[in-house]
Amino acid sequence: MMEKPAISELWSQLIAVVRIELTKTFFARRSIWIYLLALLPVSLFYINSIYAKREHERLARIAVDHSVGRDAIRSIRRGSTLQQVVQTVGEPYRKNSREFWMGRPPQRHERVTYYYTDGEVDFTFFFNDGVLQGTGRSGVRQSLPQFLLVFASVYQLYFIRLAIFFGCAGIFTNLFRGEMLDKSLHFYLLAPIPRPVLVAGKYLAGLFATAIIFSASTALQFYALLRGFDSVTVHEYLQRDGWHHIAAYMGISMLACAAYGSIFLAAGLIAKNPAVIAALLLLWESVNAFIPGSLKMASVVFYLQSLCPIEPPPDVNIPPALLALVAPAGRVGTFTGIAVMAALSVLVLAASGFLSRRLEINYSAD
Amino acid sequence: MNVDHITFDNVSRFYGEVLGVNRVTLSIPPGITSLVGPNGSGKTTLLNLMSGLIHPTEGTIHVLGIEPRDPRKMFRAVGYSTQFDSFPRGTTGRQFIYSFLRLFGYPSATASTMTAEALDMVHLTDAADRKIAGYSKGMRQRVKLAQAIAHDPQVLVLDEPLNGLDPLVRAETLNLFRKYASQGRHVFVSTHILHEVDMISDQFILMSNGYVVAEGQIQDVRSEIRDHPMQVTIRCKQPHGLASKVFEMDHVVEVRLHPDGKGVLVLTRAADLFYRQLNHIAMEDFGIESIAPADDTVKSVYEYLIGEDSAR
Repeated sequence: MMEKPAISELWSQLIAVVRIELTKTFFARRSIWIYLLALLPVSLFYINSIYAKREHERLARIAVDHSVGRDAIRSIRRGSTLQQVVQTVGEPYRKNSREFWMGRPPQRHERVTYYYTDGEVDFTFFFNDGVLQGTGRSGVRQSLPQFLLVFASVYQLYFIRLAIFFGCAGIFTNLFRGEMLDKSLHFYLLAPIPRPVLVAGKYLAGLFATAIIFSASTALQFYALLRGFDSVTVHEYLQRDGWHHIAAYMGISMLACAAYGSIFLAAGLIAKNPAVIAALLLLWESVNAFIPGSLKMASVVFYLQSLCPIEPPPDVNIPPALLALVAPAGRVGTFTGIAVMAALSVLVLAASGFLSRRLEINYSAD
Repeated sequence: MNVDHITFDNVSRFYGEVLGVNRVTLSIPPGITSLVGPNGSGKTTLLNLMSGLIHPTEGTIHVLGIEPRDPRKMFRAVGYSTQFDSFPRGTTGRQFIYSFLRLFGYPSATASTMTAEALDMVHLTDAADRKIAGYSKGMRQRVKLAQAIAHDPQVLVLDEPLNGLDPLVRAETLNLFRKYASQGRHVFVSTHILHEVDMISDQFILMSNGYVVAEGQIQDVRSEIRDHPMQVTIRCKQPHGLASKVFEMDHVVEVRLHPDGKGVLVLTRAADLFYRQLNHIAMEDFGIESIAPADDTVKSVYEYLIGEDSAR
């Protein structure tokens, strides 16, 4: 009959495991790619915000001397002459022209491009031989709601499905399998620490690391996204939904780490090659959008997406017939979503704790 | 159950179809126990079974009455220096021992003190703050030994602990084993350096192909091997006379003159009777100076039971 250990002893052992594992996870060279995965969307949003801000400032500067009303620009129709355009909206802030030869026998033609701005949008007019052939617009300053839709799409399609998924796969499968391959797991098993406590400690360390990395990335993505807008817009957004959105997305990131983490820890514990399990799970999670409604509920990504406060625009690439076939299962409530993810994590972790009692050190077989 | 013994009760371990150890039954008292046998004989399997790193397919094991499946009790009593020459990445010797002790639940200050003591015992204090990756083979052996003794265990299990150690450190390590054994503890050493086994062992276990071929004190085991006559070396001043005298005994099968001409080597099938009869011969004027068994060593037993080729 085994004596029950003191809670304080188990607690101090748990803390010791967490400390050792955190050092390995946070400062290991093999974790660098996980930081890169997490920081990729941050850098994209940041670069975009810098570009958008600069473009806006540039157009605003030009508009001081060459301001054109948007209504006046809209009134110009294709086929207008160069003179008619200048009469309506004035001289452009910039123009360029080039000659080209076309036809049989070849005849000389001239293409002229005029640039106008209303301070927010860059309008381009293309003239062939003095007649307006087409228009273009660039430097469109997107609205915050549009940007939030972009964020929602990036979050669901890249951040959850790829960044957090692979980040958790990298960290959690290595907690046991990595040490098996390094032939250093036995040091843990030579200490008087119950195996389930070891599993819990490693899981908590992995969860702590991934939750910090990916929830911080989520917050930074919001920061990068919002810095492209003026302070009034940002203030209004934060007062209205902003803080709720940020907290919700950070929470979803943590929940994703908890759920995927428990699965990958178990995979690293039981499988000689956990990459196979990760690949199968990735496949299942990826086809989630294309499976019948009720089956969707047997995936992690379904609950995570249900919890997302902003629904991304539907994928226009899915054929309507298929879209009808794979009708969405509907979103589950916040409480249900959190409860299912938490229950999944606890159950898988408990199973891992149970399986760890059978864990053996047989490096030659690994 | 004997709570100061290490017991194996009909223990078998298979790796799929491959035999690790088979039907091992042992009851090992405190002291230095050497585990010898050729490569692949099951020595490491036996040590891993004892420490719970692997589990038996059949049978039960108790170490001081503790089941290896109970790591909480087991590893407060047992320190194991494994054969694996790998360590957690990027750690120094001090961090390695300290982290290991923290897993016991020791407070930081206690763990630090115990770490320093363990490193001092294996003479690794100067290199304690260097990364283990930069240690020599001998230093890595010593840091593993420090990890095994750091929590002052009652049972020390050591898999090839003398590999890579220079002669001075080897002698100090053997002294450490003797010190532990003299305190009534178990020191369980797997080794293939047979002459050192003779020097330090209180008992030995000889394994071959997963089976325990012999176990106990070396003299007892040797006397049980009847296929090979016992060899006795007698140093004397008149070896020729002594040789002809002992050759008259029925149980003496061979007598060889020593190459230096100052003694004889006697091969007998009845060692006890020979020693008794030798008392009478000693009264005669052969100038006998010393009598000593020549083959009750682990090496000899190993050669007789396993084969000469396997003995190293």
